[in-house]
Amino acid sequence: MDSIGAQGMSAFSDPKVQVMRTVQQEAAMQNARMLVEKLNEHCFERCVPKPGTSLSKGEEGCFTHCMEKYMSAWNTVSKQYVARITKESQQGTGVGASF
Amino acid sequence: MDPSNAIAGMDLSKLSDRDKQELQQFVMNESQKARIQASVHSLTDTCFRKCIPAGGIKSPKLDKYEEPCMRQCVDRFLDANFVVLKELERMRG
Repeated sequence: MDSIGAQGMSAFSDPKVQVMRTVQQEAAMQNARMLVEKLNEHCFERCVPKPGTSLSKGEEGCFTHCMEKYMSAWNTVSKQYVARITKESQQGTGVGASF
Repeated sequence: MDPSNAIAGMDLSKLSDRDKQELQQFVMNESQKARIQASVHSLTDTCFRKCIPAGGIKSPKLDKYEEPCMRQCVDRFLDANFVVLKELERMRG
């Protein structure tokens, strides 16, 4: 426990590690913010076609399904896209380089 | 918290040249990751519209049509992008 604590402290006071951590945290926040924004946009469009006086149980259920589906879609796209640009950059066709 | 302020508030004068170089490389890698993630967001947006039928969402899982559609959508989008680049190249040259 002591060694972990000491390591944690030295990493915390190292300005290099601090900068790296801040940059990574900001990138993760930005990514999450974007996902939530898009997810809301799509799911609101689909699940609440005519906004009523309150969110109905059906609309709420649609939203939960839609959120999960959008996240699966994001993961599928991410995998496919990364695989493709990796392939292109290995072949050097120039498509990968343009992204 | 504003991250640029957080970094501005740090004392970076003590960093060695090696540390600075390492940081520069790190930030470059992170920027590339961020660019890729931005593309993934935009592609998911486009392909979700095309592949998930209009109307309410009945299942939380991507079904056997939606999943391949999403993957093909990514590949065809990139193919189309390639056609545009090739055509621009031709027009220039």
